[in-house]
Amino acid sequence: MKRSKMMEFGVGLFVLAGILGMVFLGLRVSGITLGVPQDTFTLQANFANIGGLKSGSRVAMAGVTVGRVSDVELDTEWLDARVTMELDEDLEGKISRDSTASILTSGLLGEQYVGLSVGGDPEMLAEGDTIRDTQQALVLEQLIQQFVSNMTND
Amino acid sequence: MFDNYRDVDERYVTDTTLVDVEGLHFSLGENDIFRGVDLRIPKGKITAVMGPSGTGKTTLLKLIGGQLVPDAGRICIDGQDVHRLPRRALFRLRRRMGMLFQSGALFSDLSVFENVAFPLRVHTDLPEAMVRDIVLMKLQAVGLRGARNLSPAELSGGMARRVALARAVALDPELVLYDEPFVGQDPISMGVLVQLIKTVNQALGLTAVIVSHDIKETLSIADYVYIIADGQVMAHGTPQTLDVNSDARVKQFVHGEPDGPVPFHYPAPDFYRDILATRGERT
Amino acid sequence: MIGYIASLGRGTLEALSALGRAAMFLAQSAVGIPSREGWHLWLRQMHFIGVMSLAIVLVSGLFIGMVLGLQGYTILVDFGAEDALGQMVALSLLRELAPVVAALLFAGRAGSALTAEIGLMKATEQLTSMEMIGVDPLRRIVAPRLWAGFISMPLLTVGFSVVGIWGGYLVGVQWLGVFDGSYWSNMQSNVAFVDDILNGMLKSVVFGLVVTWIAVFQGYDLTPTSEGISRATTRTVVYSSLAVLGLDFVLTALMFGELG
Repeated sequence: MKRSKMMEFGVGLFVLAGILGMVFLGLRVSGITLGVPQDTFTLQANFANIGGLKSGSRVAMAGVTVGRVSDVELDTEWLDARVTMELDEDLEGKISRDSTASILTSGLLGEQYVGLSVGGDPEMLAEGDTIRDTQQALVLEQLIQQFVSNMTND
Repeated sequence: MFDNYRDVDERYVTDTTLVDVEGLHFSLGENDIFRGVDLRIPKGKITAVMGPSGTGKTTLLKLIGGQLVPDAGRICIDGQDVHRLPRRALFRLRRRMGMLFQSGALFSDLSVFENVAFPLRVHTDLPEAMVRDIVLMKLQAVGLRGARNLSPAELSGGMARRVALARAVALDPELVLYDEPFVGQDPISMGVLVQLIKTVNQALGLTAVIVSHDIKETLSIADYVYIIADGQVMAHGTPQTLDVNSDARVKQFVHGEPDGPVPFHYPAPDFYRDILATRGERT
Repeated sequence: MIGYIASLGRGTLEALSALGRAAMFLAQSAVGIPSREGWHLWLRQMHFIGVMSLAIVLVSGLFIGMVLGLQGYTILVDFGAEDALGQMVALSLLRELAPVVAALLFAGRAGSALTAEIGLMKATEQLTSMEMIGVDPLRRIVAPRLWAGFISMPLLTVGFSVVGIWGGYLVGVQWLGVFDGSYWSNMQSNVAFVDDILNGMLKSVVFGLVVTWIAVFQGYDLTPTSEGISRATTRTVVYSSLAVLGLDFVLTALMFGELG
């Protein structure tokens, strides 16, 4: 009887450890937040080239993560990339109409993310608005090509 | 004490047949094991089925138990054709049978007590106290009540077989099938088993089928004997009539003669020619 | 020539019928509601299959994580990208190494033991006698083992990943001096819960089912002799390793490749 209790205890511990491990993976490794997803504030921006940006990439303002890219699609009207971002709700009504969204790279070979820098316009962007002023991603090949053609021109 | 049980038997037991095997054909792969076997196993008696090794005696028990299906012929138990029964009815029928396997076949993950209790738990809803009483009674009958908490791995071969016997009769079956109960036993446990099978049969008034090739022990307890060879019944009769049977094959088997119709040598070319063959011809 | 074609045909037919037997075997044993007693049997097997495999899985996970940390660091440091170590360790573990290596270890530790155990039960006529008593061995012997393997495998894989990530942390951060914050934050910004973690778990569920299935079937279907048992045990390890690696490719292509 005693042995069977020990066994039940062991199996219970095993299952519990598995569940805790899963929680650890979720929270600490993939960085999801518990609880109901916070209310978000959606903005859009069109870029000529998004480089390696993908859904889930970081959106940062002054280097602080303020949201994530929720969707990347081709805008069939302009034939450029339409990026949808979800930002923290507290930023709603604090991003001016002339703000800039640029695609930046963390480090030389790092992940690409969207950097927002706020302008001075008194009018603020509302839910679902589009940021007009954007800077496309720096693509390494294009840079090298430019560099090489400048060299040959000289 | 056992001398007078035969008289008791004869008074109570009429010659009704419990198991009726008719025209049984069975083959395993390419080997024909049975080519038209007829057996009648009388109710309340010990019937032995004997034969040289490899004649499919164990297969016969599996056919009676409904685990194998014959190619032709039929096996009726108490008038029911075993192989025509729906699955549920077959399991009900198996409840009335017990089988003692050659190796004992105790469940290695259960204790001796739980092994004997197993059929009771599966087939009945008896309260725990009653299960315990029945199990202890059965274990007492085989003399192993004290070993109830051991695991099967701790038992000797003879003890394992006795526990298996207790398990086989746990549900008080009408028919018990013994598969080679005496194989590989030392003389003492052999004696114990012979006596047990006899006593159990007498006490419970059940029908027993013993499959064996241990002639002396089997003949000492069997009421009726079938000898099977080459897929057919070679001879049958009471132990007394078989002892004086003049058929050469029966004589060789019953008296255990090394050479006879069943040759001592595996078929081979002539010995002298084989041994004097030149190197090149040797195989 | 004719003989060759004939034997090829015979081989194919045999392989097909074995597959059919295995599929029917799976259907017959896994279907059905477990009884109260079935629950207890399952618990026993969880202990035997899951808990007893935990040690080897965790130790291997730790070492693999440490090796990943070391190897990853020496490669990444050349590009000045050692901050990406966390992401590299986590992604390789979660997507590939944890499900695959844990399944291979599981096949060697629990799978072979299952085959040998069931094979021995068959050889000692326990399965036949159970049938004679009127209990279906598929339900009583096979089903709890199948379910225990199926449920243990993802749990073992989680353990493997967690310990591996910690091993990478030990080597990368504690020993080689990668910045603690960037190890975790890079990991967090690049590991997606559904795409990486859940897909990895899905792999391990599939592997758990396949390995246990192969193991119990090989045990149930073997020739009941000592030679048959040893052959079947070897077959279990070989077949399940091949099945895990092959399925891993298929699943990876479906999950992470362009097919998905």
